[in-house]
Amino acid sequence: MNARHIGLVAKKELLGLSSEKTIVFAILLQVFIAMFSSFLMVGLTAMYDPEAIESYSTVTYGVGYAGADSPLIDEFAKRDDLVLHHMDLDRALTALRDRELAAVVYVPDTPPDAEGPVAITLYLIQNDLQSSVINVKIKEVLQGYEKELREVRADRMTSFPVGLNFPESGGGENFFEFVYGLLIPLLVLLPAIVSAALIIDLITEEYQRQTLETLMSTPVTFAEMVWGKIAACEILVPVQAGVWLLLGVNGIAVDNAAAILLHASAGGLFLILLGALVALHYRERTSAQFIFSTALVVVFLFIMAVPYNPLNLMVRLSVDTAGPVHWLILLLVAGATALLGWATTAYARRVAGITPKTR
Amino acid sequence: MSLVSSIRTIAVWEMNRSMTTMGRHVLPLAAGLLVLLVLVTAFAAQSGVHMQDGIYRIGIDDPDVARVVTPDNRFATYLDDAPALWENRLAYDIVILHGEVYAADTNKGRAALKTLERDYEGYVSHVATREPDLFAAYPLWIDLQYVKSEIDFLATQSGQQVGAPADARVPPAPSGPVEAVTVPPSAMPVSEDDLREHLAEAGGGHPLDRYTGIISGGSTTDRFRTPSELSAPLPFDALVLVFVFIFPLYFTSQFFMMSVMNERVGRAGEALLSTPVGPSAIIIGKALPYFTIMLLVAAAITLFAGAPLTILFPLIPVILFFLANALIIGMAARSFKELSFVSIFFSTLATSYLFFPTVFANTHVISIISPLTLVVLDIQGDGFTAMEYVYSTALFFATSIILFYVGTVNFREEGLFSEKPLASRLMDFISGGISRGHPHLSLFLLSAFTIPFVFMVQMMTLVLFFNIPMPLSLVLLTVSAAFIEEFAKSIGIYAAARERPGFLTVKNLLVGAVAIGFGFLVGEKLLLFATLAQITESIFGSVLFLSLQVLWMPLLLHIAGVLITGSFLLLWGRRGYGPGLVVASVVHSLYNLYFLTGVLL
Repeated sequence: MNARHIGLVAKKELLGLSSEKTIVFAILLQVFIAMFSSFLMVGLTAMYDPEAIESYSTVTYGVGYAGADSPLIDEFAKRDDLVLHHMDLDRALTALRDRELAAVVYVPDTPPDAEGPVAITLYLIQNDLQSSVINVKIKEVLQGYEKELREVRADRMTSFPVGLNFPESGGGENFFEFVYGLLIPLLVLLPAIVSAALIIDLITEEYQRQTLETLMSTPVTFAEMVWGKIAACEILVPVQAGVWLLLGVNGIAVDNAAAILLHASAGGLFLILLGALVALHYRERTSAQFIFSTALVVVFLFIMAVPYNPLNLMVRLSVDTAGPVHWLILLLVAGATALLGWATTAYARRVAGITPKTR
Repeated sequence: MSLVSSIRTIAVWEMNRSMTTMGRHVLPLAAGLLVLLVLVTAFAAQSGVHMQDGIYRIGIDDPDVARVVTPDNRFATYLDDAPALWENRLAYDIVILHGEVYAADTNKGRAALKTLERDYEGYVSHVATREPDLFAAYPLWIDLQYVKSEIDFLATQSGQQVGAPADARVPPAPSGPVEAVTVPPSAMPVSEDDLREHLAEAGGGHPLDRYTGIISGGSTTDRFRTPSELSAPLPFDALVLVFVFIFPLYFTSQFFMMSVMNERVGRAGEALLSTPVGPSAIIIGKALPYFTIMLLVAAAITLFAGAPLTILFPLIPVILFFLANALIIGMAARSFKELSFVSIFFSTLATSYLFFPTVFANTHVISIISPLTLVVLDIQGDGFTAMEYVYSTALFFATSIILFYVGTVNFREEGLFSEKPLASRLMDFISGGISRGHPHLSLFLLSAFTIPFVFMVQMMTLVLFFNIPMPLSLVLLTVSAAFIEEFAKSIGIYAAARERPGFLTVKNLLVGAVAIGFGFLVGEKLLLFATLAQITESIFGSVLFLSLQVLWMPLLLHIAGVLITGSFLLLWGRRGYGPGLVVASVVHSLYNLYFLTGVLL
């Protein structure tokens, strides 16, 4: 195979992509996903943890308290963002309906050391963001009360859990796992999948538009043409993934970006070769894309179920807990890719002799 | 040949053809892959998902404590003696020494701490569930009741998202009459065994349980919860629904897109066009098999998940919307790669429009703009009203019908077989709708027809921006709403000027602007009266749909906007289009802001 020929074909395909400006859509796509998820996160953080947005930190909520007196009152007294109002249940519920209260609790006169459970009724406003916020706050109060009741009834217990003392966590949800455990692998993976779909388009188009014969009349051999297209698609993988990782659009710091890109490129090449094989076999886009997408689902389900899979390694690398074992996995993936590359070359040489016919 | 019989002929022909191309070669491999898929799914269910393995490092000095985190493979556990751990504490996210938990003061350390707290809660519950005296381990049960507040929508949306009562320290005094309510009984109406079962289910631990839980719906025991179960539902569950329902539908629509594209490759569709069958029959006939398949797929998934079949109703407009877009993309793409990119991009947009509002399904009324929210509500057993159905699906029905119409009008030789860039092909489609005899009537209709799309995009910006703190979100909404409207109005003029450069005279511009302004207003009014009354009452709604209060003011504004863009086009040609659009948007935003501050003050 002639490297110059491969380069020429790759250049032609890349020029075609840039003249159609379709690649812009792929980049827009990533920006869109990144932007939307960061917007989503701002919203969710505010929803689960109003203190995260500073202006809300002084807000206090009124809570109606009805029924018998209980140690729960002391639990509420520990909070400065919840103010308790003692009132009748019907008055309290009317006030809740008028939105003068954020929640209402009703406590029955069950003594703390009773045989049965203490069943508290909690009233919240339906379909409301504020209810989610108040839910989180009251949950903490009730957990405190539960702990107290457990202590009262401790002599009835038979086994005890190992005790752990947690530091003050500062509360609130944070989206570390969502960002690093889901968003980053997704964004790194997307270019690989897009490129694999692209190779199918590039190869089947030559068959379906019957432009292959023209191409074959040049000194470029069939296998060189296939590899040129593969090269063009492969170049896009690290470029696209890298643009996102390095720019850090979301202000998300990613460790080991270079190693992640290596993994993405190796995995991407594997998928591209798989796509190329399917496309060479079917020479028709609908069938090839269908089979490839189904195969993709199988491959991904399998990969996700294996410990130390490349996606997991990308996650670990991005938070810097990978360890040198990832080089071994990279080597394995590269080996599998090389095997698939050899198979693709062999298959391309075999089908080159067969004249393309339209179906 | 009647329309019905020609549709039938085309549908049968389409089925046969796709069966023969797919048939012999694809089906065996597809069947093999399906078997593999089942095997791999079984393997994945066995082995679990290993995506987030080992992202946290935890150092522990006691093997008993280590048992708390062993079930959670997000933690890479290191057992060592206390001094050594303390020495290397910077290498860990969390160190546990003699029962004391120390977390690194980083984002990651805090996330790890949160995860550890959850794991510990689960562990404590696990120990407690095995207690012979259940009410010693779980002494407190909460009966969660929701109260419907009539001023619901206005209150949550008018101003702050977390709208606390103004003065919480003053004891509230209900203004209206006080309704008498029955005091809840102090004994729980649920047996101890049921509660035990409920706890065992809730603490099942397998990550997939969370997802099957939302499909199976709640029983009566689920009304009572322990305090630790008392949390707002995690929104990412809705993502699973997207994959379960939307992805297969989108996937099937791809076949339709490809079938349309195949008619254009090598002018294959020429034979079809030369038959006496009209374009509408061709398109309906071609789409019908795919529509049926998609409906069957959705029904199969519904039955499989054990969800009520009524959730198919909100899915129908989604199916139509996918098919309509598949038609237009299949007709407009120049090459296969363009087809792929555009369809992937479109699917992301559509999926986020469907998905993001559902995140707020249980917390906010805005979520109803996505039909998928109705699916979520229906699965939860809440159901939806006819009004809500109309409200959330009207835009999908309207845009689908308009897109199918555009496709039908342009399903001709010159529309299908020309090789032009995407944008100018779409422009051709639009100018194909402008009649030469009655250009102003066409402009009027065109701008009325853009309304559903404008609303859809504005809804998207609403979803996008309502998360941002208050004054900024309103300003962003105002500006983007103005830009979207000006862009939509200018399309007609631009297309007409591009198609026939002589068309753009001062007289034609004036008449055209009036026609467009009227069309826009009429379309806006019609759609709003039909559906969006709920949203327009909120403050966000009044930004988007400000122009409804008085009639002549918005009419003048709409006409002025078109005139500005049109004059730029007239004076500087097509180069002036961009700047003209910007100027028109600025004027429009200023008008909106002026009225908005009037409303606010």
